[in-house]
Amino acid sequence: MTLEQVNSKLAFIEALLFVSKDPVEPSRIMDFLEIKEIGEFEEILKGLENFYLDPQNKRGITLKRCANGLQLATHPDFHDALKDFFTVRHASKLSLASLETLAITAYRQPVTLAEISDLRGVNSCTPVKNLLQKKLIKISGRKKVPGLPALYATSKEFLIYFGLNDLAQLPSLEELTELFEEKEQPSLFQKGESPVEPDPTGE
Amino acid sequence: METMEPTAAYQVQTHSFEGPMDLLLHLIRKNKLNILEIRISEITSEYLYYLEKLKGINPSRESDFLMTAATLIYIKSRTLLPRPEDADEESPERKLIHSLIEYEKIQKISMRLRDIEYSELMFWRREEIGENFENREYALEEVSAFQLAEIFFSLIKKKEEEEFLYVSSRHYSFEEKRKEILATLDNHGFLDFSDYVSRLDSLEEVLVSFFTILEMIKRHMLIAVQKQLFGTIQIWSRDEENRALQKGDA
Repeated sequence: MTLEQVNSKLAFIEALLFVSKDPVEPSRIMDFLEIKEIGEFEEILKGLENFYLDPQNKRGITLKRCANGLQLATHPDFHDALKDFFTVRHASKLSLASLETLAITAYRQPVTLAEISDLRGVNSCTPVKNLLQKKLIKISGRKKVPGLPALYATSKEFLIYFGLNDLAQLPSLEELTELFEEKEQPSLFQKGESPVEPDPTGE
Repeated sequence: METMEPTAAYQVQTHSFEGPMDLLLHLIRKNKLNILEIRISEITSEYLYYLEKLKGINPSRESDFLMTAATLIYIKSRTLLPRPEDADEESPERKLIHSLIEYEKIQKISMRLRDIEYSELMFWRREEIGENFENREYALEEVSAFQLAEIFFSLIKKKEEEEFLYVSSRHYSFEEKRKEILATLDNHGFLDFSDYVSRLDSLEEVLVSFFTILEMIKRHMLIAVQKQLFGTIQIWSRDEENRALQKGDA
């Protein structure tokens, strides 16, 4: 590939990322541009990353990798200024109940409403409904027990919302424990507690 | 009249507990106890004190708090009675402590998710492409069965509140409905779901129509789409949708 060809493909990728609402999967771009080698694609992408992520030359837009795709978003430094300019109240944050429900779903999926309620010690119907409405979780199937309760799993929107590439990027419990250990005494995790691993096969 | 304001005799807590687990963990931390070593009955009276004074107890969750209170009292009563050790039986105390350990993990993950959420909300992403993009009449977004069912139940509720005078009952067949829906789609292009259901006569007809639509979506004859968030749901025939898209592309 000549430099000119590389630059033209790079510019096209930039254009399509600008237009796209959702993260775009590299494989889709490769198919469209008929790029066979992943190395070739990475090379083009590197050019784009250099452009957007160069700390010497700060830009208002940044390139993100999330939900196994590429996405353009504004630089976090401009969050407050943008908020002032557009006088918007930014997207409402999730409630503690929703976060707990999401945490259980992310680490235990697929999981039923009864299991979520049991772990939280409170009826979790409302947060589950809210998360379904926000599309952060989805019904992934039915559990083969009496009543066939719905099984919930995190969705692609969950990955996008939390800027994660896949579930494996969620911090493991060991990491979390280290993080919190200094703050909290006594720690509840001194004796070989088995950590909950996120299911990498889930979406 | 006496004021209902809490007296200064006890502290008013602004923090509200998410549930009984949250309160128990708070008490364990407050008393600097190690969860792996404590006897849960030690904090029973304090837990009951909170419940009695409704300190940080969300009234709508009161039943959940009471459930745990019952468990705590049961655990305490067991410790007072001599009983033979039954190895097979899982003691309610171990079970509760196990739940507490699990719940603490969940709390930690939740806090972490909150941090991630905070930093992620700093990134602004493109929300939506303008509606008239490429002169396409509709920016169609497929809706899930969950959303469709949700709207269905809200409409059913509305119907229930209406009063009807029945003259005669009529029975509806799926086949009949299917033909009727297809005919409407042929004439009008699409069906506004809320509008359609509100025009139906009886609950039976609503049910038959809804299940017919669901079945037809399943068989890829129809597609349910939503123009915007919280907008009404429209039912299109799959052929019609393809035609609309082709027109847009041309």
